[in-house]
Amino acid sequence: MALLTATGSRNGGEGSDAGTGRGRGLGRRLGRRRAATGVPPVVLAFVLVPLLAEGFWVFWPALQGFWLSLTKWDGVSPPQFIGLGNYREMIHDSVFHTALLDTVLWLALFGGLSAILGLGAALLLQQERRGVGFYRAALFLPVVFSLTATALVWQAMYQPDGLVDKTMSGLGLGGLTHPWLADQDTALYAVIVPALWRQIGYVMVLYLAGLKGIDPALYEAAKVDGATRWQQFRHITLPQLSSVNAVVLSVIIIDSLRSFDVVWALTRGGPYHSSELLSTYMYSTSFQSLRLGYGSALAVVIFVLAFGVIASYLVRAFKEAD
Amino acid sequence: MNTSPTSRRRFLAGAGALGAVGAASLMTGCVSSGSSGGSTSQSKGGTVSLQSNLSSPQAKSAMEDLVAAFDKRGGAKASLNTVASETFRTQLPTYLTSGNPPDLMTWYPGSVADAYAEKGLLLDVDDIWTQPELSGYSDALKKLCTDSQGKKIFVPASYYWWGVFYKKSNFRKWGVTEPKTWDEFLALCEKLKSKGVAPIGLGAGADTAWVASAWFDYLNIRINGAAYHRELLAGKHRFDDPQIHKVFDTWAEALPYFDPNGTALSFQDATTAMLNDRTGMMLIGTFFADAAPKDQLGDLDFFRFPIIDPKMPLVEEGPTDGYFASAHTHHQAEVKELMRYLATAEAQEIYLKGSSGTSIPTNPTAKDSGTALVKKGRAMIESAADVTQFFNRDSSDALQPTADTALTKFLAKPKQINSILTDWQRDAQKIWSQ
Repeated sequence: MALLTATGSRNGGEGSDAGTGRGRGLGRRLGRRRAATGVPPVVLAFVLVPLLAEGFWVFWPALQGFWLSLTKWDGVSPPQFIGLGNYREMIHDSVFHTALLDTVLWLALFGGLSAILGLGAALLLQQERRGVGFYRAALFLPVVFSLTATALVWQAMYQPDGLVDKTMSGLGLGGLTHPWLADQDTALYAVIVPALWRQIGYVMVLYLAGLKGIDPALYEAAKVDGATRWQQFRHITLPQLSSVNAVVLSVIIIDSLRSFDVVWALTRGGPYHSSELLSTYMYSTSFQSLRLGYGSALAVVIFVLAFGVIASYLVRAFKEAD
Repeated sequence: MNTSPTSRRRFLAGAGALGAVGAASLMTGCVSSGSSGGSTSQSKGGTVSLQSNLSSPQAKSAMEDLVAAFDKRGGAKASLNTVASETFRTQLPTYLTSGNPPDLMTWYPGSVADAYAEKGLLLDVDDIWTQPELSGYSDALKKLCTDSQGKKIFVPASYYWWGVFYKKSNFRKWGVTEPKTWDEFLALCEKLKSKGVAPIGLGAGADTAWVASAWFDYLNIRINGAAYHRELLAGKHRFDDPQIHKVFDTWAEALPYFDPNGTALSFQDATTAMLNDRTGMMLIGTFFADAAPKDQLGDLDFFRFPIIDPKMPLVEEGPTDGYFASAHTHHQAEVKELMRYLATAEAQEIYLKGSSGTSIPTNPTAKDSGTALVKKGRAMIESAADVTQFFNRDSSDALQPTADTALTKFLAKPKQINSILTDWQRDAQKIWSQ
């Protein structure tokens, strides 16, 4: 959202005024740097206090999570150190394999489709026409709602004799009606739909912001050179969106790996683990089976996967900033 | 934007204090020490804190009435803290291991309480069981509230029963009567099916998959007996034993009569389906009546789960609810006073009046709600040779998900029973070896 307003205001109102605007910003930055050479204690405190809080509330528990992943712990007795036993168990755990596979599938479908459909929606809705704001708002609206609450609505729709089945019978597809969430073949896909429904709006906003940042002169020049619409898209829009793509990619991967609420609310990973993701498996192992050591080991796996993505993104982002 | 320096300083001081508090709480809440931490309600002064998982509106207000009545009689005072039941379940180990715990908690007797007692987390309440409030309780309840070392650790307050519920008007309309044996039950199912009704509703949808365990419990009790059932859940037998195969072979005979949406609907929706005549009957606990409209309650009746092996004594499922106290309580005398009060007929009647009224008080002199249904249920449990609790209560909450997975898979793919039972044994083994 912040990206949207920042780029939007730069480009929307005073495109020709950009030069002066940049100059003013530079001056202000220089002034601030001059004042900061002394490093007043208040500034130091502003850095150190959050660092301290972050250390105690984020890093310390995270480190404990690593330690717990090397133990066997039921949450009541003291944890028992078992070395890499939890990770060895993972290799032979068929539910873990299902969860990993489902997470990859989720990443591909949820991530891929939300990127493609989000970009499509952004391209459709980028031109300022009458009523376009309404459509943008409508697509973005699901992001505002709590996913757990919307999941309950979707659950009602998926029920036998729910809206989905009724609509299908109405269209003469009565043969396809189905207990969507209770069938191992459809459960995972039935859960992806509400997650997508929400994510598309979010990705659309990111791409809209990116599209606004493209200099219209590029398109004008292309038109003068007789480029087709596809050529404009392929050689101007896509390359110009590369920085937004990096943001979208990391957002999608992180969101995929932490997807939990919608799955838990709709199927709890069931029926019999067929819609299990790493995140739901971690939760049910830790807090239902009370195998907190193994659950922590699963959390570490999720962390490593997510951290790999975030780290590569950050490295790339810093490189671009230089 | 113009923050005055004083307010900024005050803010920083506050932030610093916050950091220090966080640090302190983390030091004491260090995972390996296993003490303190968690947002437990701390008791102030001499007030006994009662942590309750009865969060449905009716039950919650009934508990409020109960605590108010306790406070009014003078002596110790209590304060009620109601927590959403799912939160309560996951937080219970934290409550019990906390250095400053809630004094009294709602929970289950039997193997679940015993597991905590073994770790020395529960208050020994042997002395109050000799008091007049509790001395008249049945032997079955006394046994249920005693841990494996022979100490009393629990005070029961109410119980409910499971049965195969149906609508009287529907059975009249279809011209069928209650079956007694398994064969009569199958014949009844066949007849209902011929009338175009799904004979057996289930309600083991996503949120309430555990409901299917009632079928496993009852079939196992009827075929292999309560002793075998309890030993199985304690890890002394295997889920891939031939005895268990027999349970599922018998279940498979009834599978064609199950509502195909059985694993898609929660028990609340399955109740609605039965009340709307889409299914004929369902095996369910009396709590389902909370979801039923009041005017339909008079039309409901139930029969005992059919007899399969006539040589087996008639055992029923009668899950008991009540209270246990933390061993770390700072108000031993006051907690025991409250527990004694909760065991009285007066207290249990106050609770029943406020709640939906389908449970039965544990105090033999307490009056139940007096409806025909409750009378029949009370008679069934009181005449039972033995009373089991329920799958999770006779084993542990941790074992329940393994049953949910195995049973929903069996309902969908009964032919894969061999691999289902092997997997179940493997998953259960991981829980037992904790």
